[in-house]
Amino acid sequence: MAYELLNSKVVAVDVTGQRPVLSRRGAMLGYSGRVAFAPVHGQGTGVGGMVGAALASESVPMMASTGDGKALFGHRGLHVTVLDLDGSAPLLVEADRLLVHDAALQTSVQFLGQGGLKAMVRGMATGQGLFTTQVNGVGQVALLSHGGAFPLQVQPGETVGVDPQAYVASKGQLSLDLSAKVGWREAVGRGSGEAFQIHVTGTGTVWVQASEQKVKA
Amino acid sequence: MATLTADGRVLQVQLHGDAVRAVTGSMVAFTGAVQFKHAGAGGGDGMRAALKRRVAGESVSLMECSGSGTAYLAVEARQVAVVDLVGDTLSVESESLLAVSPGLTLDVKFAGMSGISSGQGLATTTVSGQGQVALMSEGPLIALEVAPGQPLVVDPDAFIASRGQLSTSFVSGVSWKSLVGEGSGEPFSIRFDGAGTVLVQPAER
Repeated sequence: MAYELLNSKVVAVDVTGQRPVLSRRGAMLGYSGRVAFAPVHGQGTGVGGMVGAALASESVPMMASTGDGKALFGHRGLHVTVLDLDGSAPLLVEADRLLVHDAALQTSVQFLGQGGLKAMVRGMATGQGLFTTQVNGVGQVALLSHGGAFPLQVQPGETVGVDPQAYVASKGQLSLDLSAKVGWREAVGRGSGEAFQIHVTGTGTVWVQASEQKVKA
Repeated sequence: MATLTADGRVLQVQLHGDAVRAVTGSMVAFTGAVQFKHAGAGGGDGMRAALKRRVAGESVSLMECSGSGTAYLAVEARQVAVVDLVGDTLSVESESLLAVSPGLTLDVKFAGMSGISSGQGLATTTVSGQGQVALMSEGPLIALEVAPGQPLVVDPDAFIASRGQLSTSFVSGVSWKSLVGEGSGEPFSIRFDGAGTVLVQPAER
């Protein structure tokens, strides 16, 4: 295992010449061996990707770790979840939840809201954003969550509802739909607090955290 | 019958066409057909209960989760525990209540003057009947036994819940030292006498 959890909040990553990693800038806690850190700019490829990332505010400063050694990563005492990607399906995750991942993986910004203007309004209202980061390829990823992320399996014909603030990541052949049920009850402060939900359908896995706290900068 | 299962920091609620009351906004995910709607405030229904809540300041906003499926509830990554009630009464600090299974009655009980100075309100919420109560705490819950002749004293900020034949009283450690800033940091405590169990958390609110 190249990614080893030292405890629930710190991950140790083996960095080799063949296997550099990309991480959230400033998330390195310590290292041994000869590891060098350098900032990288822009997500995705080309000018289009960078402009897209900036527009979508799906852009967190990243850095590359290269060399030969072992580096420790963690951020604000948040829990870390390590996922293995086999390349069969992309991982959808919000950019600020990516702690560290293999540099061999490709990240790109994806438009989440389907359904035009209505979906855009929903995305803004939920604070969820309309864009997520898509991670493609074969490799490992470490994600941040408040209190740890637990997986929920999604099967065809079954809908999994997730609170937008508690959503961490999803993988598989899934379609995500932001649904809003804002009625007069919400307007007068008598809502259930669950007006906004992400409805996930298809086949795959959704990771959910036990909190509605977002990752702070 | 709906069942509540604690899984670390998440509460799993299995619904079979019935309804569970939970803290507003605590849903993080669900599978199946589950609806969420406002269910008033904890501490009973009606005018009298509303007045008591107002006076006591002991109020939690609740929602009703109904339908069939599994709902996952969590608040701020706090630790979750489930307590089974068999016709007895559990006194809970209202901020620690996460969910109650159908058939349980919520009420507000006045606990005397102890609440005023500790900032924990004048009263505690009581849950009675037959069913399950889900509690949440900062860190894993600690159960402390109280036996006749062996009273227990706890910090009001660490108190989560209590059950059994208990009487509470208020212990004050305020002296001239506290006034000049040389206090021990433990000016107020709750003392339990009788026979029962007190649940505390390893943190202070």
